Amino acid sequence: MRDNKKRREIDEEEFFGFAKKYLAEAFPNPQRIDCPPDSELTRLAEHPTEADPFISQHLTSCSPCFNRYMEILARRRAG
Amino acid sequence: MAAEGSRSLVRLNAVDRRGRNIEPAVLAAAEEIFPKALEHGLKLLGDPAVVTTALEEVAAMVSRIRTKDSPVNAMPVRDVRAYLFQGFLRQINRIKRKQPKLVRFGEVSRTPNPPWAHASQQFENKVLLDECLARCHPFAREMALRRMQGFSWEEIGRDYGLSAHAAEAWFSYALKQARERLNI
Repeated sequence: MRDNKKRREIDEEEFFGFAKKYLAEAFPNPQRIDCPPDSELTRLAEHPTEADPFISQHLTSCSPCFNRYMEILARRRAG
Repeated sequence: MAAEGSRSLVRLNAVDRRGRNIEPAVLAAAEEIFPKALEHGLKLLGDPAVVTTALEEVAAMVSRIRTKDSPVNAMPVRDVRAYLFQGFLRQINRIKRKQPKLVRFGEVSRTPNPPWAHASQQFENKVLLDECLARCHPFAREMALRRMQGFSWEEIGRDYGLSAHAAEAWFSYALKQARERLNI
């Protein structure tokens, strides 16, 4: 009876706030295993539809790359 | 409180609800302080029957102490009314503490979520995020990263060659599918 089940609305701000904090800390990856070069991250930020899907997959399991990508996005947005 | 020596119009039982006798002198003192006790007790407990019963119980306890051969009697109670009233205050405070606290719905909705609710919400967010990032389309995943960095749907849509509405709908659909898979 899925149609009858009323789902609770997601608080988007809370969800993305949590996600950012979680991804920034949960995957330390000190050996930087499988990390792509900076240029690939920049390419993803500038042309997201053309980038390798592996990159965005990697960003969700590597906190250093995630934090670097957040910096790149922030700089791109500001500039 | 009624003046010293005057009698209240109220008559209390000479026996409390547990069947303990109340000494005539203590009963008279209890009847004298009754108006004051009732006024105070109603503010705290709201039920005159409960207040009256409490006063009778205290009067019975005081009577028992006075008649018993105990060290307390070595120092006789000089002012029975004051002694009784102090005992009554302790008794109604005890009753008040034992009462279950009723909270109106409006008060509940105004209070912030308790810590356990916050933890539960965080857990749900984590499960949903893992599911969404692991199984959704790479575009939706990358859109989520941009939202985390504060991009608006207009900005995201521009980078993907979509309208703001289409970009938002794309991501919302991926999130909805993840929620359906998790049944949350």
